Amino acid sequence: MKIWKSGVAVTAALASLTLAACSSSTPEVTQVTGGDGAAELAGTVTYWHAYSADSPEVATLEGTIIPAFEKLHPGVTVKDVPIPYDELHQKLITAAAGEQLPDLVRADIGWVPELANLGVLDPLSTSMPDFQTYADQVYPGTLATNLWKGTYYGLPLDTNTRVLLYNASFFEQADIAIPTTVDELMAAGPALKEASAYAFADNGAGGWNMLPWIWSAGGDITDTDVTVATGYLNSAESVQGIQNLVDMYNAGYMPDIILGDSGGLQTSDGLATDKYATILDGPWMYPIFAGQYPDFTVSASQVPAGAGGSVSVVGGEDIVMTKSSSNKDAAMEFMRYLLSEEAQLAMAEVGQMPVLSDLGPQLTSINAYYAQFVEQLQTAKPRPPTPAWSQIDSIMQDAIRSAFRGDKTVQEALDEAASQADALLAEFN
Amino acid sequence: MTRAWRKTVLYGLRYLLLGLAAFVMVYPFLFMVSTSFKSRSLALGDPTSLWPSDPTLENYIQVLGTENFARYFLNSAGVAVVSTALIVLLSSMMAYAFARLEFRGKRTLFTLIIVGLTIPTMMLIIPQFLLARDLHLLNSLPGLVPFYVGTALAFNTFLLSGFFQQIPRELDEAMMIDGAGPWRRFWDLIMPLSKPAVGTVIIFSFLGTWDEFAWALTVLNDVDNRTLPIAIALFQGQHSTSWGLVFAASLIAIVPVLIVYILFQRNFVAGLTTGALKH
Amino acid sequence: MSTPQSLAAPPRTAGSGSRRSRHHVAAAGRRRDTFAAYTFILPGFAIYALVMLYPAIQTLLLSFRDWNIAPDQPSPWVGLDNYIRAFGDPVFVDSLVNSAAYTAFTVPLQMIVGLSLAVLLDAKLPGRVAFRVLFYLPVVTSWVVVSLLFQYIFSSGDGLANHVVVDMLGLAPENVSWFQERWSGLFAIAVLGVWKGIGWSMLIFLAALTAVPEALKEAAQLDGANALQRFRHVSMPAIRSALSVVFILLFIGGFNVFISVLLMTGGGPGNATQVPLTYMYQQAFKFLDFGYGSAISFTLTLVVLAASALQYSWSRKRMAD
Repeated sequence: MKIWKSGVAVTAALASLTLAACSSSTPEVTQVTGGDGAAELAGTVTYWHAYSADSPEVATLEGTIIPAFEKLHPGVTVKDVPIPYDELHQKLITAAAGEQLPDLVRADIGWVPELANLGVLDPLSTSMPDFQTYADQVYPGTLATNLWKGTYYGLPLDTNTRVLLYNASFFEQADIAIPTTVDELMAAGPALKEASAYAFADNGAGGWNMLPWIWSAGGDITDTDVTVATGYLNSAESVQGIQNLVDMYNAGYMPDIILGDSGGLQTSDGLATDKYATILDGPWMYPIFAGQYPDFTVSASQVPAGAGGSVSVVGGEDIVMTKSSSNKDAAMEFMRYLLSEEAQLAMAEVGQMPVLSDLGPQLTSINAYYAQFVEQLQTAKPRPPTPAWSQIDSIMQDAIRSAFRGDKTVQEALDEAASQADALLAEFN
Repeated sequence: MTRAWRKTVLYGLRYLLLGLAAFVMVYPFLFMVSTSFKSRSLALGDPTSLWPSDPTLENYIQVLGTENFARYFLNSAGVAVVSTALIVLLSSMMAYAFARLEFRGKRTLFTLIIVGLTIPTMMLIIPQFLLARDLHLLNSLPGLVPFYVGTALAFNTFLLSGFFQQIPRELDEAMMIDGAGPWRRFWDLIMPLSKPAVGTVIIFSFLGTWDEFAWALTVLNDVDNRTLPIAIALFQGQHSTSWGLVFAASLIAIVPVLIVYILFQRNFVAGLTTGALKH
Repeated sequence: MSTPQSLAAPPRTAGSGSRRSRHHVAAAGRRRDTFAAYTFILPGFAIYALVMLYPAIQTLLLSFRDWNIAPDQPSPWVGLDNYIRAFGDPVFVDSLVNSAAYTAFTVPLQMIVGLSLAVLLDAKLPGRVAFRVLFYLPVVTSWVVVSLLFQYIFSSGDGLANHVVVDMLGLAPENVSWFQERWSGLFAIAVLGVWKGIGWSMLIFLAALTAVPEALKEAAQLDGANALQRFRHVSMPAIRSALSVVFILLFIGGFNVFISVLLMTGGGPGNATQVPLTYMYQQAFKFLDFGYGSAISFTLTLVVLAASALQYSWSRKRMAD
């Protein structure tokens, strides 16, 4: 407790410097704090992440970002630990049970409320004096993923979203415009079917897949405080969003991989091999297409709009500091550095979309394809931040699939899902 | 003449059967080999074509050039060799007692071994983690050994006791008349007669400890302490995976396991035990 | 934890010999046995008790709680609630049925094919080692890699499985969407299980066959017994205990199928191909309901123990006949 208090004192001192830096003309936050605070910071900061071993991300982190930070703070050593993505959650949970967490974790945005609820995360919005400075710089949709019971437990680190990726050849051949609304997409169905293509394909019915359609139709999942789903998940608008897809599926404009065939023709393969006309997917698909289908050129536009506009779902990762961290000052300083323009741009070079909204316009010069994603991010929303999300997600998926199979009407399916979700949400309030 | 001919036909039939089975068994493996020679393969290719169009060694070069790869290899080898030796020793001792000795509590202890066979170890991971923490065995390679040994003992004890039972009891009794105690019977009779069974345990234990992933990943944090399966899993990305790289690394990791297998399957030669029986 | 006694019955030992001359020796031996037995058992059992039984007891206790992984938060006792929930949970009950079906499919095939290959490779045969290696390759290949490979082989478009089933054998009129339905999905997973497990049982059978005295086989041959008769009357009795060991181990393994299901279908579509361990993993590590996950795990343990006990006593009775 004593240590923690002195930690606050030091951070507060650092923060005043940071704020001063912000109010001056230069936005380079870290250089100023780094320059003056370097002498005070020392020790090792352990940082768990899930960048894969052969990835350019890990090369940039270990070859550029960490050395640059250590140069600014010669007393600090950052030890980064890559952990396979599929196992990171299990390892985090076990380490939390055994009180063996590292200082910093690059966590999937969906895990933050869950870890916060376990009480293992440092409440950044109260412990980090300059938290608001950073909160103001990032896309609101990415910040919201860190919120749990009125407190922010992390900062967004990188982001992404789903946009409409399409195979332009179909639209040229059939001489139809790229659909900008759900109605246009549905109207394109028959002509595309004529050309033996599915108008749209997706392989899941959970939140990541369905939320863009629900939000764009003007629907929602829960109230803004994430306490109740009934009246939101099963509202007329939400039902309409799903109904559009079910209608398309029944008319044969969508393939049956939506029902969960893990051996079916996957969305990206179908798009590139002239089976699917459009899919929703993220920026990581570009290098995959380039590597696997060099002859195919993927095109992108915004999620087809409905009554609620064009609203997609936020993906990406947050950076969180653990409550048990023994070197919070240095860890916090490294967080600040990871959110600096310098570090964010370095990671943008290797495919990690920055969370700083000011950097949006610069991104297209790094990668032209970022443009559609940046635009979509302006309105993109996060999945409801609640520890119950993984369960609600699974309930939604089962319910919506039963509507696709025709076992239930969309209204029935969503009514049931909403009442099950209510029970889960109630557990955490 | 006809006898020789019949023999040839039988031989031919045997090879045909074996060849057919081998083809089915090996095909997916060949696909792995073929993919490992393809460059930048973010999706798996056509499984009916086994010859890569532009064969390249770049995956192997990249894998072997990965920082610390040799170290991970040695880490795994050390842990696997020590664990295997202990598993073989301890499980054959236990199996011998269960198969050949009478003692109070035998039934209970054997029951507890069977129970251990059926408990899914995944569910034990948190209590085991807390135990390793309290014993200061976290984040250490030697710390893996007691856990690898302890979790493998039930299986191997059960397997070996089945084999030990098959050894004719007359041999024990003959030695007992000569005044041989349990230890001598274990070392001089059961163990030499059980070379194939012990070979099986060595092969399985080495494979199991060499390949173990979930526990090693959970308890090891220092990058330098990692074992090979963790290094291989790290080649898989969140959104995409270079399969050629993963397959190349997996194939390199298979080599020691195959060497152990080839060395110890030599114990499976008919007549080996027959000779001993004649004594 | 109560265990059916018949399964737990350890093998009868030398001391129970009936002839008088033997009896005397055995009685003398038995006194030394008890002390010696503990020196044989203790080192191994101590480690086993520490890293397996002790955590298992803690997990068992956890199944009677609404357990919270955070050490500083309460984990109230809930009695048998988690178990009652498990038996009323259709997904769990279906998952048990799925793993039973998987076991029923994979165990006999692994036994029969494994034994056949072992018999073929037990004889002196040029190239024997090469074949032994080829059949063992699937065993050493990582589950992760082969699961993804088989998912690909069984893909619903022009995957290899459809190529064989539709184009070559003509068993189905059109391409099958293997992972779209419960049974075809489980079938694909079971094919992988058999493919990966054959070499494993082959190895144990090979080891067991090695112990069959060559002299006995030769004697039978001189008596005019053909290959099949020699196998039935000479080899089979000698490997009975190996057969029973392999059966029990495969049986337990079948109910504990996990990684292949997790990677190939994730238990889907819906929960159609869920097996107890994937469901347990989802409840514990995804939904953080460790109390319920533990209850699933111990219910499975009980089911498997009871079934193995039945099988074990049945096979002993048969052996005795």
